[in-house]
Amino acid sequence: MLRWCLALLLPACTEPYSPAPISSPPNYLVVDGFINPLGMTTIRLSRTYAIASKAAPPAETRATVYIEDDGGARYPLRETVAGTYASASALVLNTTRKYRLHLNTQGGKEYASDYVPAKITPPIDAVNWRAESTGLDIYVNAHDAANATQYYRWEYAETWEIRSPYSPSVEYVNGAMRPIAVPFPGVCWGNAASSAVQIDKTTALSQDVVANYRLRRLPPSSELLYSRYSILVQQYALTKEEYAYWELLRKNTESIGSLFDPQPAQLTGNVRSLSSSADLALGFVGVHSRTEKRIFISRQDLPGTWRLLSGYEGCLPPDTISLYPPVPRPPLPADILRGAFGSPDYIPVDPYTGASGRVDGYTAKSRGCIDCRTRGTSVKPSYWP
Amino acid sequence: MKQAYSAFFILLLLGQSFASHGQQAEKTVSGTFTHLPFEQFASQVEAQTKVRFYFDPKTVDSLFVTLQVQAQPVSVVLEQALQGTGFHFAIDDEGRAFITSGGAINPALAADFFQPKAAETTDKPTDEPVTAGPVGRSRYVTAAEYKVYEIGAGGAGRVTLAGHIRDQKTGEPVIGASIYSESTSIGASTDQFGYYSLTLPVGRHDLKVRGVGIKNTKRQVVLRGNGKLEIEVEEDIVTLKEVVIEAEKDKNVSGMQMGLEKLDIKTMRQVPTAFGETDILRVIMTLPGVKTVGEGSTGLNVRGGATDQNLILFNDATVYNPSHLFGFFSAFNPDILQGVELYKSAIPAKYGGRLSSVLDISTREGNKKKFSGSGGIGPLTSRLTLEGPLVKDKSSFIVSGRASYSDWILKQLSDKNFAQSSAAFYDISAHIVHEIDDKNSIYATGYFSSDRFRLASDTTYHYVNQNASLKWRHNFNNQLYGVLTGTYSHYDYDVTSRQNEVNASELKYAIDQTGLKADFSYFPNSRHTVDFGVSSQLYRVSPGSFQPLGAASLIKPDVLAQEKGLESALYVSDRFDITPRFSVSAGLRYSLYQALGPRAVYRYAPGESRSEATITDTVRYGNNQVLATYHGPEYRLSARYSVSDNSSMKASYTRTRQYISQLTNTASVSPTDSWKLSDNNIRPQVGDQFSVGYYRNFKSNTIEASVETYYKTLRDFVDYKSGATLVLNHHIETDIINAEGKAYGVEVFVKKLTGKLNGWVGYTYSRSLVRVNAATTADMVNGGSYYPSNFDKPHDFSLVSNYRFSRRFSTSLNFNYSTGRPITLPLAKYYVSGSERVYYSDRNAYRVPDYLRLDLALNIEGGHKVNKLAHSSWTVGVYNLTGRRNPYSVYFKSVNGQIKGYQLSIFGNPIPTVTYNFKF
Repeated sequence: MLRWCLALLLPACTEPYSPAPISSPPNYLVVDGFINPLGMTTIRLSRTYAIASKAAPPAETRATVYIEDDGGARYPLRETVAGTYASASALVLNTTRKYRLHLNTQGGKEYASDYVPAKITPPIDAVNWRAESTGLDIYVNAHDAANATQYYRWEYAETWEIRSPYSPSVEYVNGAMRPIAVPFPGVCWGNAASSAVQIDKTTALSQDVVANYRLRRLPPSSELLYSRYSILVQQYALTKEEYAYWELLRKNTESIGSLFDPQPAQLTGNVRSLSSSADLALGFVGVHSRTEKRIFISRQDLPGTWRLLSGYEGCLPPDTISLYPPVPRPPLPADILRGAFGSPDYIPVDPYTGASGRVDGYTAKSRGCIDCRTRGTSVKPSYWP
Repeated sequence: MKQAYSAFFILLLLGQSFASHGQQAEKTVSGTFTHLPFEQFASQVEAQTKVRFYFDPKTVDSLFVTLQVQAQPVSVVLEQALQGTGFHFAIDDEGRAFITSGGAINPALAADFFQPKAAETTDKPTDEPVTAGPVGRSRYVTAAEYKVYEIGAGGAGRVTLAGHIRDQKTGEPVIGASIYSESTSIGASTDQFGYYSLTLPVGRHDLKVRGVGIKNTKRQVVLRGNGKLEIEVEEDIVTLKEVVIEAEKDKNVSGMQMGLEKLDIKTMRQVPTAFGETDILRVIMTLPGVKTVGEGSTGLNVRGGATDQNLILFNDATVYNPSHLFGFFSAFNPDILQGVELYKSAIPAKYGGRLSSVLDISTREGNKKKFSGSGGIGPLTSRLTLEGPLVKDKSSFIVSGRASYSDWILKQLSDKNFAQSSAAFYDISAHIVHEIDDKNSIYATGYFSSDRFRLASDTTYHYVNQNASLKWRHNFNNQLYGVLTGTYSHYDYDVTSRQNEVNASELKYAIDQTGLKADFSYFPNSRHTVDFGVSSQLYRVSPGSFQPLGAASLIKPDVLAQEKGLESALYVSDRFDITPRFSVSAGLRYSLYQALGPRAVYRYAPGESRSEATITDTVRYGNNQVLATYHGPEYRLSARYSVSDNSSMKASYTRTRQYISQLTNTASVSPTDSWKLSDNNIRPQVGDQFSVGYYRNFKSNTIEASVETYYKTLRDFVDYKSGATLVLNHHIETDIINAEGKAYGVEVFVKKLTGKLNGWVGYTYSRSLVRVNAATTADMVNGGSYYPSNFDKPHDFSLVSNYRFSRRFSTSLNFNYSTGRPITLPLAKYYVSGSERVYYSDRNAYRVPDYLRLDLALNIEGGHKVNKLAHSSWTVGVYNLTGRRNPYSVYFKSVNGQIKGYQLSIFGNPIPTVTYNFKF
């Protein structure tokens, strides 16, 4: 009786859907980034590509890109990585002027964003967190005593420690087992950037105050919390138009799928082609500074009742590779070793000895369970305590 | 009925046994009888002869026989015995002696009893079911049928006979019953009050009465002048088939109205639904020309019209949100409903205010004779109805309530999200009828519904419908009656959020509509029916208020200014039967709308896209000052020509105007959609519809078929700019664009009314297109060209069928197919701000997969014993039998930085239901 699939109540009514491939997807320029009047400006240029594609977005290389103010002054951006254009140094722009991004593509097309007044982002007052039964909630707080900001956007970057349960004492090199030369790192650091659009506005409030806007919710089982976790929150002040753009972008691609959601709309942004009105460019180039705040959360700060997971639960216990298996006509120990550790994805951990003191075999596990570099970097970030 | 049958059977057996003894009946009687009770005397005579006595023991209990006879025939003996007693006897040729007091009977049948005259046979309408004479009929009706009523005096030429047709048991009016004189081919049907008016030549008439769920009956009248005839009819409970007969069986062909769908509650009960409860809106959706965007919505799209273009009337009061629980239930309790009429075209002049259709829902009148009740228990809801007389035969009440326990079910589910969710609704309706005297009646209706839900979040939605109507009906004379109606409708919703005390808030919306109207019907003669009237309604809208909740809330109160508008109309229409084959109905409605102050209205720079930046001025208006006036004629023309006795052509042209629009930016109707009055910046919507149809009945009017085509244009309905804000918008006109639409289609409909197998089949081919060609290119959608509306589903097929195995078992099967609805698909993806995003196609350029659904239900009736304490029935059904996951929508969203496509189905599995219904 209760097994029916009622969309509002049971998520089982939502099924993956792959439409017939939409032939010849449009190839529009995509502009990602903002003009920072108090720092480095980084703009990424790419192209739209097929929905089904699994490749990285095609970068738009060798374009001529510069920031332009309404007085005509230009600040060129140089291509650093393919498709990424950055100012040569931290700029300090006159915030009473309006700025736009102007670019000429390799293909000879000319684009420009609309002129936008520069906004200075107020500092983040606090990034705090609360452990609820549902998980860890991270909030951001900000205010602008001048009531000039009102529209906020946030991004965040997360870093967390990863600790592998294994520290191998041996390695299999050139067909032989030997004591390990370079031990595997014991700690690594995982990284992730926010992908969801996080915006808030205070126009409905009598003061320009963002109080405990929830930025992130981590379930208690999240491996990010296992040892030490850090989040860097970046705040941007938006104009009303840019806020509307992000809000629509979110409506279009994130908060849809329930019964009462608005229909998706065509959304481009504030970048236009100066060459042809039929050619579209996607993206909104805002002009605003960036403020940041980082916090750390350690394991001991969390409620003792939480059963934290390391993400390596599936890696225990280790496997055993026996050199003398109790079967009729056992293979040679060398063949057993080659069969087990011939590929780099399977790694011995420690030898074990029988009653006679002979090495009877090795404990072993897959590389993903041993080498924490498969889940992060072993280079300790400079800000890590 | 069963008893009646068996009695009849026994009678036949007796008849046979007597026939075998007939020849020996002439035996003689001898003996001495002294003050012998007649019964004993009779048995002694029976012992000596083959004569059998028939008498009423009660009438002979004081009859004693003192007699001495020797070898005398029975007839002589009886003559002596009964001499001077006042009793008479008669003996037939089968030796049966009938003893009666008063007068002797003639036991012989009329000479032509078994071979009635040929003329009489052909007189009988072929569709009349053969019944065993008056067997099983109440004495009252039988007597009434044979009585000859003399009505009026002093009339000449044509006179008018009027009155009501009522249910003899409950006193409820019988709506849509027809009464006609066969000899003159003049007929009429009863209106919603059970009232009829017939103009006939003076003289003797046999009036036949037919109707839905009533037994056929007749009255013999001798008309001498204008007069009244009240007719009581019996409910047709013994019929083997569930009656799904329209009032006049040939109405499909002979009726003036086109584009009208009429359903009674009995038909609707047969249609299986998802939650086992009869749902009028779901049944309406199976009719051709009616579509909906999906299952989770009760928003109707009639012939390419938007969901806000339907005038939904509940006993004349407008209902603003006809749904419960996100649209899975319609807001009307089936137990109190009489029936529903849907006008898709040729909307009568008395209705106005919406472009596309009128859905007129009427409630039953309570039982005027005795107290009774009914109810049902279903998987998500239960309901109870009580009715009875207030003053016997004069007034009655009916009260019906319904409540859900979905909340309880949500709590039983293990998922955490459900525990935080709640969903509950209830509704109550009441209807009182009082007949003051022959000429005056009063009708009062009240309706209240409430919904409250919270879905895995801290936000609680709550909405309420309140309706009331009061009607006073006055018969001036047989040819003229009038109804004065006062109505009140209220709808409001509020959305509260309390979790974060800094943002704790309450958002409220409310609309009130108060109306007064007078409608008159005038029957000058049998060829004209004139309707005229006047109406006025005042709207008050509180478009939104946003208030902090609790002392810690920093929410800044934001209240949108009230809106007020007055809509008035005058109408007159005449139905004129030019010849029996050709009739026309011409109507004109003139409506006037005034937007009233107090309000501040923005003026915008002409020719530019409206935005805050283009506001040029703010004009303030005082209380009740008119800030905008719109008015215009609404033409309602239709004509019918009967090609033959069982086929006709009809054509109509309808213009409608609408001064209130629903603001919704979602595909389906959502509870937080609000209504906006026309004002300086928002023009009223105007619609025109032409339609032509061919109607034909087959097999003695038991199969109705029709083909209707229509072409419709719509002007100035609201569409939205991309990303429009509809809630708490102080200048909503900056987010609205005026759209125009066109719709056309062909509807084929075949309906079988009677028999073991009944139901209907409909197929529609239709298109519904929208164009937003605003003055400024920034506001255009799809470059200003026509695009399919959200509910443009070109092919639509539906089958509703019911097969009755026996009086107690019947099964219903539903089949629905339609083209998938249009959607906007992503064309390409791109990468911005750490995530993949999608670039969407032109609006509604693609479609979701086709829709297909099959439902099955089995109805089991309890025994039909008349004197049972409670009558009960069970409905067992499976909704979406094939378990097909019909996509309601297809959407793409970025999950962890990856674009993924999903399809959302409302019902993904077969849904079994069991409902128990009872009646006492």
